[in-house]
Amino acid sequence: MSDIRLEVKNVSKSFGITKALDEVSFNINKGEIHALIGENGSGKSTLTNSLAGIYHKDHGQFILDGKEIDPVNQVEANNEGISIIVQELGTLDGLTVAENIFLGHENAFVKMGIKNTAAMNRKANELLKKYGFDRIKASDMIDDYNFEDRKLVEIVKATYFDPKIVVIDETTTALSREGRDELYKHMKRIREEGNTVIFISHDLPEVLTMSDTITVLRDGIYIDTVKSSEIDEDGLKKLMVGREVTGAYYRADYGEEVSSEVVMRVEEVSVPGIIRNISFELHKGEILGFGGLSESGMHEIGKACFGASFDRTGRVVLSDGTQINDIPTAISHSIAYTSKDRDNESLVMNQSIRDNICLPSLDKLGNKAHMLSDRKLRSFADEYAKKMSTKMQGVDQFVSNLSGGNKQKVVLARWIGKDSDILLLDSPTRGIDIKVKQDIYQLMDKMRKSGKSIIMISEELAELIGMCDRIIVMKDGSINGELKRSESLDENSLIAKMV
Amino acid sequence: MSKTKESTGKKLSGQVKGYILLILLVLISWGIFKVITPDNFGSPKNLLSYFEASLLAAVGAVGFYFVMVMGMFDFSIGANIMLSAIVGCVFANRFGLGYFGLVAGAIVTGALVGLINGTFYVKLRIPSMIVTTGLALIYESVANFIAGGVEQTLPSGLRAFGQMPGNLILAVMAFALAYLILNYTKIGTYTYAIGSNEFVAKNMGINVNLYKVLAFIISGAFLGIMAVLTISYGSSMVAVTGMASMSRNFVPTMGCFFGLAFKKYGMPIPAIIIGEFVINIIFFGFIALGAPTAVQDVITGLALLIIVTMTTNVAKGEIVK
Repeated sequence: MSDIRLEVKNVSKSFGITKALDEVSFNINKGEIHALIGENGSGKSTLTNSLAGIYHKDHGQFILDGKEIDPVNQVEANNEGISIIVQELGTLDGLTVAENIFLGHENAFVKMGIKNTAAMNRKANELLKKYGFDRIKASDMIDDYNFEDRKLVEIVKATYFDPKIVVIDETTTALSREGRDELYKHMKRIREEGNTVIFISHDLPEVLTMSDTITVLRDGIYIDTVKSSEIDEDGLKKLMVGREVTGAYYRADYGEEVSSEVVMRVEEVSVPGIIRNISFELHKGEILGFGGLSESGMHEIGKACFGASFDRTGRVVLSDGTQINDIPTAISHSIAYTSKDRDNESLVMNQSIRDNICLPSLDKLGNKAHMLSDRKLRSFADEYAKKMSTKMQGVDQFVSNLSGGNKQKVVLARWIGKDSDILLLDSPTRGIDIKVKQDIYQLMDKMRKSGKSIIMISEELAELIGMCDRIIVMKDGSINGELKRSESLDENSLIAKMV
Repeated sequence: MSKTKESTGKKLSGQVKGYILLILLVLISWGIFKVITPDNFGSPKNLLSYFEASLLAAVGAVGFYFVMVMGMFDFSIGANIMLSAIVGCVFANRFGLGYFGLVAGAIVTGALVGLINGTFYVKLRIPSMIVTTGLALIYESVANFIAGGVEQTLPSGLRAFGQMPGNLILAVMAFALAYLILNYTKIGTYTYAIGSNEFVAKNMGINVNLYKVLAFIISGAFLGIMAVLTISYGSSMVAVTGMASMSRNFVPTMGCFFGLAFKKYGMPIPAIIIGEFVINIIFFGFIALGAPTAVQDVITGLALLIIVTMTTNVAKGEIVK
């Protein structure tokens, strides 16, 4: 009997003039975790979304266990034995946990047109218990749970029916360490049961640890399939980027004195239920990191400093004495903020790249009569989108059509265009490929050297250690320690203060 | 990993909270008018008649809820009620089909109007507000044509649904049906799914356009039942034109707002029923006061804004459109 579970044969897919997949062919085996890696816009999600019925491929074949499949939606893909956990939130508000788990599959609980809600809840509770998520209740509204718990519900939804292939698309970046461990446990279980996981991640150490086989795509073209045991991180980078990724990835300097000039002073800042009595100073030309577990409150720091937190108490004061209590004041005083929740809080999804980049800079782009010139807006957006190497058809393309990483580039391009002096970056490299990560790190370093100050909030300990002058570690809404940049600083020092 | 919800007990207390809020609204609205005009307002008998009147709009509102919760709107509610009532009356009276003609004629007409609204909306791919506004003009003209420009009167022998217990029986049947569809069929689940995220719902294999049309049909059918209750209660219907039927949109829409505001407590249908009762208490309170129509309208509009603002309790940062 063949070991091949899925044959991808000459699959192509275009969006307008952009060829997202170009005659991609490779095989995926039974009982393996098969990683799919590549730069942003390399076609990974397009391929798996086509397999899972979210997109429709233009041509080519998916052959599952010897039989060609062509699902037109996720439910049809489920029926063929394929499920997917998407990068962003895949559960629906207004429905219960059970309704979300069985959405599209209600017929199992319907008799004579009447849905047996009790039986559905019972079954969902059984599944949640089996997965070890029994604190999540089937009859609760999904709205009552946080992002991470909702991701756990998605894991149940995607795997409870023992699909032959489970696609996990860049899900781990949305999860805390504990959530990732839960996911890893279920990935291994799926493999042990003889089924297959297609794992998309930009975290190369994670890819090397978790996967058996790795397929690399670049610009929609199949590059290679390698055994995880036979390659290292640098080898993967080379395959992804098409050349050696050399030079400084993180900052190489140590022992540099940070300016004593304070550009922002945060005094006794609290946000009810999230952060308590946070005080710190941000210096000119400093990269100040915030680390901690996902729910430690660190993600509220950026909002609080940007004047975007509700019910915030305490003071955020700039060097000229200005207090930041609202977003317009923050922006007018050259402060930029990028949210972790890129799609909902940073981007206007149904607007063009041009509109998104120009949004905070419209005042300076207008003429004396405050009239805006299309040519000027276009040229401004084009300049900064290109500076960030955004893969796009043009600045008129809708942001919603971009890959996750390219969306992030648009967010960053917006604030670089604004030439902000203080940047509050929450998870700036979330879902970003290795090459763009390097670009962003180098950009941050350049900004630092030019006197700009950065607060970098991240769940990636390596990048905090590699990029920051100081790292403040948060735990349970409070500051639990501060670590200075040094060559000897390692992840364990941070973890000790995080948990 | 934090847990944001401790147990299902929280949801139950949410429902209790919802009921307490609604009962408080009833008591406050009743109390205010009872204090101002104690003699001719708010006796138990009066309250029963206010409740009977509120049943009409509540039936239409529970149907309209299916459309609104999906994020669509319908400006042809009034025209639908008018056309359905006239067709029902014609079937019952002119064609001699009695109660069967009245009920079946109105409901089928209402559902047909819903089908047309839904089909035009999904096929033309233009906002539901615009589609239904345009179609309302057509429905008004059709109603006027059928009525021949004459007021349609329901014979006294066919008005059992205009008084107790006929109106209550029909309304309770309608509420039970709406509750059943919303909570115990796929239609209810898909209605909320589409309202939450149409794109994801589509990816789950849900035929979004089909369920949108279905929502309009359900809404239309319930408006047909409302038409039966309306013509039975008022005994006649005039086929107005020039968008004059829009005035009938207001009360069912207000009830629907109550349903949307209390959706988070898991009790939209009771909220619509009690909400319509509150609205009627306010209306009848003004009548008891003898307040001019303009004053009534101003205070009713303000009362709506205050009630919905107080009950909706939007979380800070939540986007409201």
